[in-house]
Parts: sequence; C-alpha cells; structure tokens
Amino acid sequence: MEPFKQHDMLPESSHDEQARQDFVMAFRGHLSGALMPGAYRVYQQRVEPAFRAAHGRPPADQEEVRQVMTQDPYYQFWSAMQRRSQEMLWESVIEPTERQLPQLIGKSRKLSKKTLAKGRKGSLRLDPALVVPKYHTAADIHLQPGGYHTDFTADDVAAGVVYDKGINIYMGGALGPENNLTGDTLVAYIREKHPQFEPARILDMGCAIGNCAVPWARAFPDAEMHAIDVGAPVLRYAHARAQALGVPIHFSQQNAESTDFETGSFDVVVSHIMLHETSKSALVRILKECHRLLRPGGLMLHLEIPRGKTVIEKFMHNWESYNNNETFCRYMTNIDLKAEAVKGGFDPAKTRVDEFVPKLDVAQMNYTENFFWKILAAHR
Amino acid sequence: MKKTAKKNSAARPRTRPAGRPVARRAATAGVSRRAAPAPAAVPVRIARVAKGKKPQYFSDPAIDKLLWMTLTLMEELSVTRDRLDAVENLLEGRRVLKVADVDAYRPAGASARRRQAQRAAYVDRMMRAAQAELEELTGRDMPRSEAEVVAAVEA
Repeated sequence: MEPFKQHDMLPESSHDEQARQDFVMAFRGHLSGALMPGAYRVYQQRVEPAFRAAHGRPPADQEEVRQVMTQDPYYQFWSAMQRRSQEMLWESVIEPTERQLPQLIGKSRKLSKKTLAKGRKGSLRLDPALVVPKYHTAADIHLQPGGYHTDFTADDVAAGVVYDKGINIYMGGALGPENNLTGDTLVAYIREKHPQFEPARILDMGCAIGNCAVPWARAFPDAEMHAIDVGAPVLRYAHARAQALGVPIHFSQQNAESTDFETGSFDVVVSHIMLHETSKSALVRILKECHRLLRPGGLMLHLEIPRGKTVIEKFMHNWESYNNNETFCRYMTNIDLKAEAVKGGFDPAKTRVDEFVPKLDVAQMNYTENFFWKILAAHR
Repeated sequence: MKKTAKKNSAARPRTRPAGRPVARRAATAGVSRRAAPAPAAVPVRIARVAKGKKPQYFSDPAIDKLLWMTLTLMEELSVTRDRLDAVENLLEGRRVLKVADVDAYRPAGASARRRQAQRAAYVDRMMRAAQAELEELTGRDMPRSEAEVVAAVEA
C-alpha cells in the first residue's frame, strides 16, 4: 500500500502522537478483520435461531435484527469497542492539529495566494450567511467533534486537517496517498462507461477537503473544476490543500440543495459518498439541483456505499447509522435512488444505478469480499 | 575563569534584573512567558466530544465507561512500548547498548530483589480493589455499618 502523503497542509506528529494513530489503525484493522465477521456468525448460530423459536419466523427487517442483536453479548462488546475506536481515531489526530493550528492557519493564508503552474490559481468563496443544514448540526457526522462546519477560531482549518488525517486512519490507509480512492473510482467509471466524454466544467458536491475534486481536476486538467460544501473550515483547508498539491480548484461555500451557479452550466456533476449524509427531503432537492445545473447531455454521477442485501447485512452495514452519527444511512438503505432521480427531473430511460468495481487498478482497495460501489448515473 | 563563567550562566535565569531584555535563546526555549512583550494568544481548544446521542452498549453504563478506560489504557501501553522500542533503537544506533543485550538481560542479586519488590508492590496496588472489600469485612475495629461511623461523629 502506498503510504499517506505528507503534503504542506498536514501537521507533523510527534513520536507518541504517531504511535497513537498507528495503534488506532491497528486496533480498527483487528476489529473489522477479526472480530466484526464474528457478529455475522453469532447471528446465524444463536440470535436468528432464538428469534425463530420465539416468533416462528426469521426477523423481517433490519430493525427487528437490531432489537435482538443489540442484546447479544458478542455484538455488544464488538460494537462498544468499534465505537470507542472511532472516538480514539479523532482524538489521535486532534492533538497534533490543535498543537500546530496557528502555524497551519498561517500556511493556509499563504498558500491561498500562491499562483500555480501555467499562471493558474484556485479560489475560495465563503458565505458567512449560509445556514448549515440541520442534518449537519443535529449530530456530528462520523463523531468528528464539531463536524465539517464548526470554526474553533478565526480562519479555522482544523476540521479539514482533522478530517484529512482521520479518514486515512478510518479506511486503514485504503483511501490512498491523497485520500484519492473514491475520486479515482468515479473517474474510472466515466473513463470506462463514457470514454469519449471530455467535460469542460465539473462540479463536485459535498467536497469536504477536496480529496475527490483533486483526482477529477487531475484527470481533466483542461476542465474548470468547481467544488462546494456547507462547512467553512473544511473549505479553507480544501483550498489550501489543493494549492499545496498544485491543483487549481474553485471552492465555494454552498448548499447542494440550491446553488448560485447558472442553469445548464456544467458538463458533469458528481458527489462521493455524500448523499447518505443528507436527509430524505434534501436528497430530492439535490437531485433536482443536479438536473438544473447540467447542460443537455451532461452527466450526473453519485458514488455511494451499498448497504447490504440480507437483513443482517443491512443491519451490520448500518452500524454507522446507529453508532457513528450517519443517521440518514438507515433510511437510504430502503430508498430507490433511481426513483428519486426521476422525481428530480431525470428521464428514467437515461438513469441507472450501477454496481461498480473499477477494472483499472485505481487504488489499493481490497475488492475480494464481494465489495462494489453503488453509482447513481443519469444523463440530462 | 571558566568555572566562574559557568556559575554565572547557570544562575542567570534567577538573577536577571527586571526589565532586562530577554535573551533570544531563552525566548525560543519557552522560558520567557513572564517577559514576553505581547500577551500570548489563548491556545485554541478543539472539541473532543462529538455532538449526538451516544448509545448505551451494556446493561450497566458503568461497564461502557470501564471499557472506554480499558481501551484508552491499551492505546497508551502500545504508545509506551513503541517509545521504548524507539529509545532502545536510538541507543543501539549510538552504540550505548545492544537491543539483544536488553533481551538477554536477567537481573541478579540486588537488581533482582529490587525488581521483585517493585513487582509485588505493583500487584498489591492493583489487587487492592479486591483486598479493600475483604479488609472491610475482616479488618480490626472495622465499623459494621455507615450508621456506626455517623453515630461516632454525631456523638
């Protein structure tokens, strides 16, 4: 696996800070590799049979599975440790970030003024009047304290720094040296399915630190790359980070449900594991906005994580929903994304949900466990 | 001459007259807090607890907290072992000792006795959790109830 890249906007970790991050990664690797599969086994061997004995039928849905699994001692123990590992993950990166925050803010100010190769330059447009939607402010998504949107000081970049280092540990390094896996995967999708498509203007919605926008901008260097998010601190960081990586991207603080971009002004609109962090009503509004922003013939692509097929798979995949503040996941599991896109204005004949594993070796993800990405794709 | 110079430099931090400009070296060493020209900015504190409702995993919430502490201790022990490993490797690199010598080290005589005593004291401290309950039952002059203690101070 290619090691995580230490670019200019990442803090240094002292020996012990690094050791703490290394421990969390090893601990989480063990939890997911050795202990999590055991939860499926206890379900098959004792939880499901006990349910059948009591009700004369298997659990009908993930909610019924939840009622009984959360009483099982093996599941309880794994689940409680998994939760703690997530909290430890953020703690381990918050410490070095907090320690170096003034320097990091200074660097971000400097980097935002830098002119890149060929005289190009990214930009940042913040909107202090923007109301951060409730699905962000009600609970901190992924348990990151303060979420994507909290400023702890003036010109804050902490949420972005913490997120960049945190998601690397979260995925056990599988996101790649620049947390580029999901961006590269969707780029691989467009290359495979639409090899002729050469977009001139691309929009990434819910970009957070721009780790997916960067692969898009690199794949289409002549395109004008835009990226939006509701969180100011992640955007400041995203801008500085892209500048540090030498990639010109135009970031702006906007809600994907309603943007100020002109109608029909984009060739491609994308998002990467973003939809499940919104809400039932926001989902349709976002798809409607995608429809508005695309030029005729333009392409909408949303990358999502599948949430299982059997009731136990759905329950286990939704661990994040009940324990990691990804609250909307449990509802998204039962939502037909194609039907939502049609509600948003897309033609059913030009809309599809694909199960996708890239043919290209885009990153380091281990695809052996029947894993695939779910992609909502639609032509305007 | 040499001796006096050494003595003076060692005493400098304590005998520096008020108002005297802070030496640049002292400033970078972080000992100039009192003499800093501008008040130091209050360090920014990033939140440590995520907003949201934390689930209860076990029948007794105390178990949740104990597991929390246990896993944090597990983390810190891992950090300490990594640090010890770093120290050993650095010392070997500087030819102070060989890591293999640490592996082969067997305390003997006074060293062995000191280690044995330390280990026993450590076990005793840890196991006091159980010992305390036992002593409450069997110890000399132990009160039989809280009421007995309250009566003694109310008298």
